[in-house]
Amino acid sequence: MKLIGENLNIVSKKYGKALKERDAKTLQELAIQQAEAGMDYIDLNIGPAGKYGEELMSWLVPVIHEVVDLPCALDTSNIKAIEAGLKAHKKGRAMINSIMVRPERMDALLPLAKEYDAEFVALLWGPEGMPRDENERGALCAEIVYKATEMGIPPERIYVDPIQTPVNVQQNQIMSALAFMKMFNDIAPGCNSTIGLSNVSNGAPEHLRPILNQVMLIIWKRWGMKSAIVDCFDTELHAIARGERPELEALVHKVEDGEPIDMDSLTKEERDFVKTARVILGHTLYSDSWLEL
Amino acid sequence: MAFEPTKQKYTGAIREVTIGTGDKAVTVGGRSCFPFYTFEGEMPHPPRIAMEVWDKDPGDDWPETAKEPFKDVLGDPVAWAKKCVDEYGAEIVALQTRSADPNADDKPAEEVAAVVKKVVDAVDVPVIVWGVASHEKDTEVMRLVAEQCSGKNLALAPVEEGDHKQIGAACMGYDHVVVASTPIDVNLAKQLNVLLGNLGVKEDKILIDPTTGALGYGMEYSYSVMERITQAALTQGDDKLANPMVNNIGIEVWKTKEAGQTAEEAPELGDPKTRAVLMEAITAICFLLAGSDILILRHPDSVKLVKSYIEKMMA
Repeated sequence: MKLIGENLNIVSKKYGKALKERDAKTLQELAIQQAEAGMDYIDLNIGPAGKYGEELMSWLVPVIHEVVDLPCALDTSNIKAIEAGLKAHKKGRAMINSIMVRPERMDALLPLAKEYDAEFVALLWGPEGMPRDENERGALCAEIVYKATEMGIPPERIYVDPIQTPVNVQQNQIMSALAFMKMFNDIAPGCNSTIGLSNVSNGAPEHLRPILNQVMLIIWKRWGMKSAIVDCFDTELHAIARGERPELEALVHKVEDGEPIDMDSLTKEERDFVKTARVILGHTLYSDSWLEL
Repeated sequence: MAFEPTKQKYTGAIREVTIGTGDKAVTVGGRSCFPFYTFEGEMPHPPRIAMEVWDKDPGDDWPETAKEPFKDVLGDPVAWAKKCVDEYGAEIVALQTRSADPNADDKPAEEVAAVVKKVVDAVDVPVIVWGVASHEKDTEVMRLVAEQCSGKNLALAPVEEGDHKQIGAACMGYDHVVVASTPIDVNLAKQLNVLLGNLGVKEDKILIDPTTGALGYGMEYSYSVMERITQAALTQGDDKLANPMVNNIGIEVWKTKEAGQTAEEAPELGDPKTRAVLMEAITAICFLLAGSDILILRHPDSVKLVKSYIEKMMA
């Protein structure tokens, strides 16, 4: 799986401040850490960024590329900032994060993806907002992939994002995103996929977020997810993405398949993975104390 | 081949919880099927109705139509509670300690608790004591109430995450029931019951208050969350949510604009009393279908309507 580091983000206290103050050194340190952690892309989330977006993105991309060779994911709703980032992006192929399945977004951004030969995240967020189930996800996916390929954008440049919801508010939406993933190769053959993984643990106690992210990643991986937008500091998670924890993957698959599990024979870590898989998959209802039950 | 209706498979049951003591004690729960699905499981106890009594004269907080049946007892909580039981057939009294509200009268906890004790001693039905959702003030009041009414098996509400240790401990110490209150979210409801369990509160001493709205004011969302709690308890075998539910309905319905508008203000909405009573009864029936076990209502006419509904559904 390819990993997109999410930490350079306007809402982060440290890096948000660095962005506002044009503090290149702090941001470059993070970029180096992301490269060392094995990230494949560095996400540059500057928020909507208003009238400064263009200037900020033109400044930021070369600052990052001064210290690392990784491609950047240009993460903003600001169309001018996206174009500025694409112009400034000289190392590898840039990624637009993201293009929603709404006419005004596709009309503005798909031509840019084509012109700059960029990859893009196709966020399955339609004119009516969040899709309600896997079928609406399928329809949105077909629409944007059709539009893009008709313009001559190769399918492998498209990273379809079925939208990650938090386990503690919309667990049923996780199930429909997973159901979509199981149909994905038939709907959009040759396309790539990605997911904003950390959202699964949004609102959970901070110290318990990694295990939710890790188990969610295992489940996505099983159903063919090609990449994920992740916390660049969670090395356990990266090990799972690289396939270095096959025993944990097998265990989570067993939970998903409803096979009986002898909890007494497991280690603490394994038991926690089983419990976490059960809350993510809706076998048991989430509560902040799910690991203690 | 004969027609075989599909049957829901249940993996859990709602546990029984008793409030009050003696002949008039009330037991709710024990249900092993969806509400009123007696063709699929057991529903040994009917849902019960508690009537709302304030520990002060509600004054302008209540529309005239709500005050009318109680006009001779407003401001006298003991007489008011007795009237609910003797005349209107209340099976439970829900005493709202509004006089304690730190943003209004802010009556000292000792005085509030003394009135609660008088009411509790004056009626033989169980009493739910409902605070003002101020952690500090409710803790002060409920500690005194718990001690002074020791042995009465009251239900104390609302017990929230922020004061569950204080009020939960008081309930354990003096053997009362905890009404676990969370802001309309199934995961938070589960979490609070886990925390109460960790504290040592016994499972059969917890009622769930999912914090619900009124017709036109969040009723559908309330229904969905209650339905989700019921499903988790009965079909997912979620032990932490297998407790009876209580809904504080009167206070939500009667504070809405429509329940308070006079015939002159809203002629298109018909007779003010009928309108508000129906709003209250519809909200109550909706929550019965979602799994409610105790409904706190205000108007004697809605009480009558909902009671007859329960009788017919249980027949």
